Amino acid sequence: MYKYIIRRILVFIPMLIVLSIIIFGLAKAAPGDPFTGRMLDPTIDPKVYEQQREALGLNDPVPVQYVNWAARMITGDFGESMYYKGRSVASLIWERMPNTLYLGLFALAITLIVSIPIGIYSARNPYSIFDYGATTFGFFGLAVPNFFFGLIAIYLFAIKLGWFPSQGTITGTDVAGLQEFFDRIHHMVLPGITLGLAGTASYMRYMRSEVLDVLSSDYIRTAKAKGMSDRNVLYKHTLRNAMIPIITLMGFEFGALLSGAIITEQVFSYPGLGTLFINSITNRDYPIIMAIALLLGVTILIGNLLADIFYSIVDPRIRYD
Amino acid sequence: MFKHRLRLLLISLLLLLGLVLAACGNEDDTTEPQDDPGETEDANKDGEGQEEEGEKEEASGPTSGGTLTGAMYSAPAGMFNPIFYEEAYEANILSFTHESLVGQNESLEFIPGLAKDWETNDDQTELTMYLEEGVKWHDGEEFTADDVVFTYKSIADPDYVAAGGIRTAYVTPLLGYEEYVNGDTDEFQGVEAVDDYTVKFKFAEPNINPLYYASFTIIPEHVFGDIPVSEMPEAPESRQPGQVIGTGPFKFSEMVEREQYVLERHDDYWQGAAYLDKIVWKVVAQSVMSGLLESGEIDFVADPNGIQPADFELVQGLGNITIIEQPDFGYQIMGFKHNHRTADDVESGTLNPDNWVPNEKLSNPEVRQAIAYAINREGLIDGLLYGRGAILNSPIAKQFWAYDESETTNYTYDPDKAASMLDELGYVDTNDDGFREDPDGNEWVLNFDYPTGNELREKSAPLIEQMLEEVGINVNLRQPKEMSAYVEDLTNDNSDWDLYLIGWSLGSADPDPTGLWGTMAAYNFSRWNNPDSEDLLKQALKAPDAFEQDYRKEVYKDWQKLYSEDLPAVILYAQNSLWAYNDRLQGVEPLPFTMYNDPHLWWVNDAE
Repeated sequence: MYKYIIRRILVFIPMLIVLSIIIFGLAKAAPGDPFTGRMLDPTIDPKVYEQQREALGLNDPVPVQYVNWAARMITGDFGESMYYKGRSVASLIWERMPNTLYLGLFALAITLIVSIPIGIYSARNPYSIFDYGATTFGFFGLAVPNFFFGLIAIYLFAIKLGWFPSQGTITGTDVAGLQEFFDRIHHMVLPGITLGLAGTASYMRYMRSEVLDVLSSDYIRTAKAKGMSDRNVLYKHTLRNAMIPIITLMGFEFGALLSGAIITEQVFSYPGLGTLFINSITNRDYPIIMAIALLLGVTILIGNLLADIFYSIVDPRIRYD
Repeated sequence: MFKHRLRLLLISLLLLLGLVLAACGNEDDTTEPQDDPGETEDANKDGEGQEEEGEKEEASGPTSGGTLTGAMYSAPAGMFNPIFYEEAYEANILSFTHESLVGQNESLEFIPGLAKDWETNDDQTELTMYLEEGVKWHDGEEFTADDVVFTYKSIADPDYVAAGGIRTAYVTPLLGYEEYVNGDTDEFQGVEAVDDYTVKFKFAEPNINPLYYASFTIIPEHVFGDIPVSEMPEAPESRQPGQVIGTGPFKFSEMVEREQYVLERHDDYWQGAAYLDKIVWKVVAQSVMSGLLESGEIDFVADPNGIQPADFELVQGLGNITIIEQPDFGYQIMGFKHNHRTADDVESGTLNPDNWVPNEKLSNPEVRQAIAYAINREGLIDGLLYGRGAILNSPIAKQFWAYDESETTNYTYDPDKAASMLDELGYVDTNDDGFREDPDGNEWVLNFDYPTGNELREKSAPLIEQMLEEVGINVNLRQPKEMSAYVEDLTNDNSDWDLYLIGWSLGSADPDPTGLWGTMAAYNFSRWNNPDSEDLLKQALKAPDAFEQDYRKEVYKDWQKLYSEDLPAVILYAQNSLWAYNDRLQGVEPLPFTMYNDPHLWWVNDAE
């Protein structure tokens, strides 16, 4: 087991190197640089930008730029942002990461709390009115684009009813303590539900079909034939087996948690990694693009590794040597 | 066996539970129990109070107190140092916290600011500014001539550009700039403090608009004096609330980064303390703006985007909102590529008109004129801007004294005239494909490129294509490009581009169009090369004749006539700025270029 984990982690290194080369190449292949989109003010001499390019090393050949970047990376230095003057990439990411994490976890919690019970109930009562209702809701959740649902939610719950704030993470600078905690939760409700909606739908469908699948398998019939109570069949045999694909899903979700729902963050002006990533791409802020992409790469790899490890715990048929 | 399984089941359930708890637990970490909760309660009470009093009769005169909430659609990048910031979002905050020696009034004349008076010598190579006395920085220090010298010296510093500064235009005409920026000398001659309240700007050559160069925002020497220019951008004095120091009526006191920026009254403000206690800037999504104005959550929205033309009637119908509608200084154009550069010149970044390759497809001015007649600009304004814009017949904003359309050719929509002009020029359809061929009978297809980013501009491209095709011009409308990519392609123009869209947002300081339309201007994307135009543009700036505004006005009149005939670009429209504010805000006196005029005189009618 430990050998397996160490082997997996060692494989990460070449994967990350390849990933970084691809991302660097793609980012550089995109036309424009941090200055092209901004240089539209006739009072500013374009030579100024030329000097700044030179200072940032943007005029070096791309492989040289990559090596320079990678050399700094190895020492743990993510470099300086090209757009946010005088800010280090690390500080920008640290500043945004908590917001995205809270929102992601909040959304995931909503997703799991809602989807798993509904999925199980639907599977136990297939083709009932409840099941059809849940299925309809599921397809609705998958079909409605996030941003649209977000706007509807803002219109209804923030503007018309005034129950929840629609923008940002906090009311003001003057709330503190427990109040701040509730204020932040209050701000997270709408984006959290919006973000969780699509996930809820897919988890629910997964859960339903897995439970249905397991319920019709031979060992469940055997268990029932032995006279085991429905309750025991469900909790001891069915759920365990049905949870396996959900755990895989959650492994992937790890990356999604960090990347946040880029669009949801935009709609709710929620300052997280997603908005930072989008802004950095439009501004060709290469150091930030690289750092976030790598961060996502690492979390997804770790998420998958964790999912594999949990597999072997949940499902004894799976063994790693 | 069963027990073992039970344990594993428990683990997986715990994992779920753990995730749920983690969501809450992490929340808890951010809770900073620093201030007493009493403050928050007060804030809540204020909120209730406002609602009640909003229904009462309007108070008769200005009263102190109250909080005003403004909105912007994007968060500032976080650079609150006037010499390093770049975007309108920072400007929103800096216009309340910092000041310049001079400002501009309604007719765009320079008026006293931190300088109460000034004089120039006869050949306008020297400008002496007499400063207000007793002006206090936010931290209580006195504002003096040394601060002015320090500000300009910092911009002229050899490290300034490499550190990310872009405002060198303000110092390049000053005496001794070259020597100083190259590091040949430690003494900057351009700006000199005569005594504590007198400062002298010296120009290398007679300057026709010296006050413009003296209009840069001043930063405090006592704060930045010990920080090398190369380290200024990362210094907390350039970015942290409480540490950003200006002379303005409000001080930048708190922020929730990328969400909220709080400005508090500066009690020692030299023109008298402001009425408002606080101005809070919130970052909100544009899509929810009208709703937030309606609910009163946002009190005002102005630059850089204001409200959308499509929302104008909606917002006007809300009843509690006043809209300020004024023409913008910028405009949108459809440019004609007169010339292309050679691949070698693009490679080396050279702008040498002698090497330019004329674009045969559009080289005849009458062809360009015919195209201009074929474009229904009025229709674009009505259809896209909901009428919230104006036709501009020359590339100078209408608000300027220099705008003069008395002799320009004004291309009123006339498709028949366009068609007959093209017929006469020999551009007729010879192979019955529905499109005109050029006089030699060859295919005549105009490539048309446009950028994304401005929704109205994006929508205008297919409309213009349609208008041109109606008069039989074959237009190849290509996929739009995202702005960074577009500008790169527009600049590196050894390409097959013919028509392009771009918009310019321009300042209010001086109408001189050289930066966009001079032959050697980098932004002259049409690569327009007309020696007569060059002569006129130079004449208009030539001392000593150009010291007289009337003289310049005459020259610009001729230039605008020439422009409209030679037509490097069709000016499609100038969009109106639409700024909106809640009626509880009083004392707003907008200027042609800003809503933030004397914010210390703003007050709210529901203050306690």
